[in-house]
Amino acid sequence: MIRVSDLSVNYGAIRALRNVSFEATPGKITAVLGANGAGKTTLLRAISGLVTPQTGTILLGEQSLARVATENIARMGVAHVPEGRGVIEELTVEENLRLGALASKVNISEGIEAQYAQFPVLGDRRRKYCGTLSGGERQMLAMARALIARPKVLLLDEPSLGLAPQVTAELMKTILSACESENLTVILVEQNAKSALRISHDAVVLHLGAVVASGSAAEVAADEDLRRYYLGLVEE
Amino acid sequence: MRWLRGLRRQETTPTRLISVAVLTAVALAITFILPPVANSQLAGGAAITIVILGLSWLIGWSGQISLGNSGFMAVGAYAAGIWAHHHATTPLIFTFALATVVGGLSGLVVAIPSTRLRGPYLAGMTLAFSAAITPLAQNFSSVTGGEGGIFFNTLTTPGWFQHLFSGVDATINANAQWTADLAVMTAGVTFFIMANLFHSRTGRAMRLVRDNDVAAELMGVNLSRTRTFAFVVAASFAGLGGALFSLINATVRPETFPLTLSITLLTLMVLGGIGTLSGAVIGGIVYSFSTNLVSHINSLTGVNPASNLGANMQGIIFGVLLILTMLFAPRGIAGLGIKAVNLRHSRAVLASDENVN
Amino acid sequence: MSSFLTSSFMSNIFGGLAQGVIYSLVALSLVIIWQSTHVLNFAQGAMAMFATYVGMTQIDRGLSYWWCVILSVVVGMAFGGITERVLIRPLYGKPEINPIVVMVGFLGVIEAVTTAIWTSTSRNIAAPFSQIYFKAGGKLVLLSPFIIFQIILAVVIMMLVAALFRFTRLGLQLRASALAPEVARLLGVRVNRMLTIGWMLSAGVGSIAAVILASGSFGLFPTNMDGVFVAGFIAAAVGGLDSPVGAIAGGLIIGLTEQFVLAYWSPSVAPLGGMIVLVAVLMIRPHGIFTRSVSRRV
Repeated sequence: MIRVSDLSVNYGAIRALRNVSFEATPGKITAVLGANGAGKTTLLRAISGLVTPQTGTILLGEQSLARVATENIARMGVAHVPEGRGVIEELTVEENLRLGALASKVNISEGIEAQYAQFPVLGDRRRKYCGTLSGGERQMLAMARALIARPKVLLLDEPSLGLAPQVTAELMKTILSACESENLTVILVEQNAKSALRISHDAVVLHLGAVVASGSAAEVAADEDLRRYYLGLVEE
Repeated sequence: MRWLRGLRRQETTPTRLISVAVLTAVALAITFILPPVANSQLAGGAAITIVILGLSWLIGWSGQISLGNSGFMAVGAYAAGIWAHHHATTPLIFTFALATVVGGLSGLVVAIPSTRLRGPYLAGMTLAFSAAITPLAQNFSSVTGGEGGIFFNTLTTPGWFQHLFSGVDATINANAQWTADLAVMTAGVTFFIMANLFHSRTGRAMRLVRDNDVAAELMGVNLSRTRTFAFVVAASFAGLGGALFSLINATVRPETFPLTLSITLLTLMVLGGIGTLSGAVIGGIVYSFSTNLVSHINSLTGVNPASNLGANMQGIIFGVLLILTMLFAPRGIAGLGIKAVNLRHSRAVLASDENVN
Repeated sequence: MSSFLTSSFMSNIFGGLAQGVIYSLVALSLVIIWQSTHVLNFAQGAMAMFATYVGMTQIDRGLSYWWCVILSVVVGMAFGGITERVLIRPLYGKPEINPIVVMVGFLGVIEAVTTAIWTSTSRNIAAPFSQIYFKAGGKLVLLSPFIIFQIILAVVIMMLVAALFRFTRLGLQLRASALAPEVARLLGVRVNRMLTIGWMLSAGVGSIAAVILASGSFGLFPTNMDGVFVAGFIAAAVGGLDSPVGAIAGGLIIGLTEQFVLAYWSPSVAPLGGMIVLVAVLMIRPHGIFTRSVSRRV
């Protein structure tokens, strides 16, 4: 599980996160919602050690992640699918997957085969360079590459961005089933609050770097003010 | 330092002229006191100052990294040498003008393919140029004198100079003070030109091109013309400096312009302060007395100057200085000076990027 | 057939290839560093030269040629790794002129120190291969056992490097670190370590080039890699600094060009030949022949 307490991050004079606290528990999806610039991406980057927080602590289970290098956080079982998916276009599908498994203790070829079984499209494209993949295929590859190392925590940054609605729906189902079958702690950053809330168990709403609401996904989804002012979910 | 800094801002051309004239006069006065050896060192330093002014303009202001300025120096030196060899009676000023123009032309030739290149590509390309130029000179040995080079032995001290300072020897290489005076005056003139260039419209356009070429283009600055112009200016300064440098040594030879000269130039420029007028002067002064400096260090550390290590001490010290300056004080001595003077505003100065001059 | 082999055209081809493989190795070593750290290492030639001095002068102490070669490469790799850690690491994220200036300064220091230790006198390193040209039908073929060894060694090294990058776990991590350092770190790749290893590999490849050069008729002296570095850089720029294949092809192109200029014009203008090729290529493709994208990266 991930426990964030009192986390603040500054970029120069700009305060990207202000005293953010929340918990994400295993076997559950925690959605982090909010508008552009709310600090969602910064939150994930802080958990992965890509940015150094000014104050606050981040715990992975009982272990503090303060001053732990990004690569070591990844090796401790935190998989982070960054904004734009982070698929390395100049490498093949199989090389990307191999890279995902390298730092972990899993058997690489077995792991890759398991992912091909899960995502048959990737198996068909295994020798293709990733620059040739479609958006949906890239997202699948990014998921597969994150899951291959059997992580404890999965951080997803805007996975639905640029995907068609059916593909998004498919993706959300995949995330949910991975979360439940592997007992994963999933933190799902989304602008698309509607599809995120549909599969999430818990939700945190960020606004200008601060938490304005947190609770179960159902509660957040039911709050009319939140829907209207922070999530942009106004039904006419 | 504060004095030189006066040349920076809110200065008009007349005040700049006065400052440079006073500075030059002080330097000229010093040549009356210095012994001949120190005078010829000073002359070399003044010649190098001219080259560094051009280099600093090119790298610091237009953002184009060149390792080819020793090549431009060679071009200017050979132009002057070959001309003087055949036309001994030509006034020196014409020979220098020729070196400046031919140097500038060589800059144009290099600039045409190079201004499309950035950073390391450009640095490597200009390095290749300076590596190719001296073998080329050796190849046409009937004109360039090959390995042995050309001697400037027929130049004489002008009459007015002899009248001004009685007892001055007529042959050029016999009188160190006259060469030093000549070099200092030439350096003064180029310094004045560069000070104006730095603050001209072109100078400002140059900095814009360096910092943000897209914005510059949107504002109607012609990128390739501006970059080419920077090259031509730097090369003509190097051509003039090279001619002067050879005149002081009374010969033009390939071995005067080795690849390591480019390293020396770069070191002096970085040490003085990239893109600064005062830095070029500091670089020139450091060059003037580098031999003394090195022998002093040799004696301090007890290294025998005749030993292998002693003979290579200058290369080691220069290289180490260059590395340390770049790692710990990338704005050079001029940058440190500004920091010391502007302690109160130091934050603002530091924030306003590398180009404080 | 034998008259073909002894023709001046074929002699130039052999000579150009022999020189070209050295340039290819230097170019390849520059590309390895460029890809991972975006630094053009101006001290590459000097570093390799220094490593060759340390390694090959052990012949004087009775070490065999082959052990000296291995020693040179090991010293070169260590030197490369230390250089990256000490001189380059503080400069990541700084303006691109900073590492250029630092490496130019380092070049000066290495050459001065080498001259201080071993003097500037050229010395010959005797390779266990004859330098005497073969004969066919009574005429010379400009190939000697040493030249054949030189070409084979260079090709083997290139293939080893290619295989390392292509087929090993280390190679995959090296490529990922160069292509997308942040993503690589998120996947647990120790990117900083990869950068150091990249510099070590590069310096090792450079050392092989210096060893070959020193073992041939050129000899070993403190500035012997200067011209080779310039030619190697031109080769890398012709091929595109991003492309290992381009580096190797560029090296052969420059080697052959220089050889033909040398043969049909004059030895002293040979360096100019390479430069003219570079100018011609860059006028058409400012990022070299083999780079995939034409977007501005430099």
